[in-house]
Amino acid sequence: MDFTHQIIFLAGVLFMTSILATVITPRLGVPLLLVFLVVGMLAGEDGPGHVEFHDFGLANLAATAALSVVLFDGGLRTKLAMFRVGLWPAISLSTVGVLVTAGITGWVASWLLDLSLAEGLLIGAIVGSTDAAAVFSLLHTSAVRLNERVTSILEIESGVNDPMAVFLTLAVMQYLLAPADYSALDSLLLFVRQMGLGALIGIGGGRALVWALNRLDLSESLYPLLAFFGGLLIFGITGILHGSGFLAAYLAGLVVGNQRTRAFAGILRFHDGVAWMAQIGMFVGLGLLVTPTALVPIMGQGLLVAAALILVARPAAVVLSLLPFRLPLREQAFMSWVGLRGSVPIVLATFPWLAGMENAAVYFNIAFFIVLVSLVVQGWTLAPAARILRLQLPSQGALVNRLDFDLPGTRGYEIVSYRIGESSSLIGLKSRQLPLDDISRIVCLARRGKIISYREWGTLRAGDYISLLASQDELPKLDEMFQSTVAPKIAAAEQRFYGEFRIDPNAEVQLLVDCYGVNLPETALEKSVGAFFSSVVPRPVVGDRLRLGEMELVIKRMDAQRIAEIWLRLPH
Amino acid sequence: MKLTEILSPERVVSGAAVTSKKKALEELSNLLATGAANLGNGEVFNSLTGREKLGSTGLGHGVAIPHGRVAGVDRSVGAFMRVKHPVDYDSHDGNPVDLIFGLLVPQTATEAHLKHLAAVAEMFSDDAFCSKLRAAQDSASLYALLSGYTPSR
Repeated sequence: MDFTHQIIFLAGVLFMTSILATVITPRLGVPLLLVFLVVGMLAGEDGPGHVEFHDFGLANLAATAALSVVLFDGGLRTKLAMFRVGLWPAISLSTVGVLVTAGITGWVASWLLDLSLAEGLLIGAIVGSTDAAAVFSLLHTSAVRLNERVTSILEIESGVNDPMAVFLTLAVMQYLLAPADYSALDSLLLFVRQMGLGALIGIGGGRALVWALNRLDLSESLYPLLAFFGGLLIFGITGILHGSGFLAAYLAGLVVGNQRTRAFAGILRFHDGVAWMAQIGMFVGLGLLVTPTALVPIMGQGLLVAAALILVARPAAVVLSLLPFRLPLREQAFMSWVGLRGSVPIVLATFPWLAGMENAAVYFNIAFFIVLVSLVVQGWTLAPAARILRLQLPSQGALVNRLDFDLPGTRGYEIVSYRIGESSSLIGLKSRQLPLDDISRIVCLARRGKIISYREWGTLRAGDYISLLASQDELPKLDEMFQSTVAPKIAAAEQRFYGEFRIDPNAEVQLLVDCYGVNLPETALEKSVGAFFSSVVPRPVVGDRLRLGEMELVIKRMDAQRIAEIWLRLPH
Repeated sequence: MKLTEILSPERVVSGAAVTSKKKALEELSNLLATGAANLGNGEVFNSLTGREKLGSTGLGHGVAIPHGRVAGVDRSVGAFMRVKHPVDYDSHDGNPVDLIFGLLVPQTATEAHLKHLAAVAEMFSDDAFCSKLRAAQDSASLYALLSGYTPSR
């Protein structure tokens, strides 16, 4: 009985500490995942907690389940529209990139640690993938706003490259366990099976899940659970059939997140909470598992392998796999730097242990150490790196304060609430002056804590809460409307970044030449400015710039695939 | 850049009464033409409206900087007017415009053109300065403000 109580008490203490840590750490700029990991290490055998935890099997089970939840949640949140610019570069990074990373890191590791090349490659494969949880959380919680191309490539990459690292690890392990009868054909078959089944079951299972969510009549609270266990089920089936469960979970999340689904707002909110819990549990647990004093003897070698990974392998992987896409150098430099490692390497490092391999302790400790270094060095410097490489877009100022409510009996509609910010450009407007479409309508207006009768609405004021019934497709537009601000500081920052004058994307390039005397090839003159921009910078995103002599054309707004606003930035 | 190099007191006008963007540009063209001996106001007007086809030169918060490149001047020429009633100028922020600075540059000097334009845009992005211009009594005090401008940063 006492044991049960102690375990529950321990879980409570660890989760409470981690949750409280989230209040303080964003101000210090420390990556949260590092904090969770450290909480686990402190609670462990060498820290004040003195908890002895060496059950690699249990840790592997818990962390794998947690990872599948994080990936499913990541898929839910990834909009297919992001694939427009990010898909192919991300796939190239996840395949070729992981291979290159694993190869270079593995070679260095085998040399530094005095292992055979195959054993070194196992370490390379283990640390080969960037971490979805780390990348998602850093890109979303840090105050950095990056352009869509960088964000979408990094996010899709982190979701898709875990299966590749898992595959490589399994392949190298199979070879090491039976080197005599292992051929390249075996690894090819393994690859096809892992990715093929992962993709097939992930997409099929996702569709089935959407169908179930929309057809079954359940109590409202059960829909999020249906989605959650659906995701686990898909992961499980794929795993049992020796496919990649991680790929399946991510793709299933992606399918569900991009279809009209009943109770979607509730599903998202539930998964947000569960994904947090999974991350905390996983990192604290892995922190508990490690023996920090065992890391001390390998620190020197660990640092060198980490340096090789961060400074050589990752940049080489980025440059090589992005070669066909001709991305701006500054963006490639940033992506090289943001090759964050997280829980996946630690989880993968438990595989050799579970298989009873010879140097399992070395693999585990080195992988753990590399993750620590990566989280400290790269996680901590993500925002400064974006600033130094001038990749930060001006912040949009007032964050949208949006709350969603499900609307029973319908699909695709929600009630959303916004707070009118102090510098909102909507202040002073009457409710009917708001540009709303046919379906969206104002449900109520709350002022100073009270719902106001329609006749007393008058004009909008700062601090008002406005609730609207809206179709899900309208939400991005509404978000934009309610975050539009007139704060002078933001306007000045935007002018410095995007430029002074708005240019009509449909105007002819000839006009630009007439007005500013820039030299452009004959063939460009007849095009519209927007078409000319797209012809030089394919698949443009907000923040992309095109130099014209001393001036620059800068994209300020995209309307799906179409350039909606181009600005002219004068030399300064 | 010193604004006095391109501006003279007779090309700074307070209280012009115009009713539309087109009228404002016509009025401004007349002013600019007085600073360029070889140019008629028609040519100036065509140059300015040509630039507007590329997109409004409204800077936002009630300011516009119409500009153009013309043959027939050998140095940059500026003119400023504050109109009595703000006119709709198609600005990105939707605000009507009451402070209008016109700039003409020679066909050849593209880089100097941009430097002048950037300096003027910088100056009119300063909200405090624009408020002073709106509060000024007459053309003479407008000219004094413009020629005495020093960047706040």
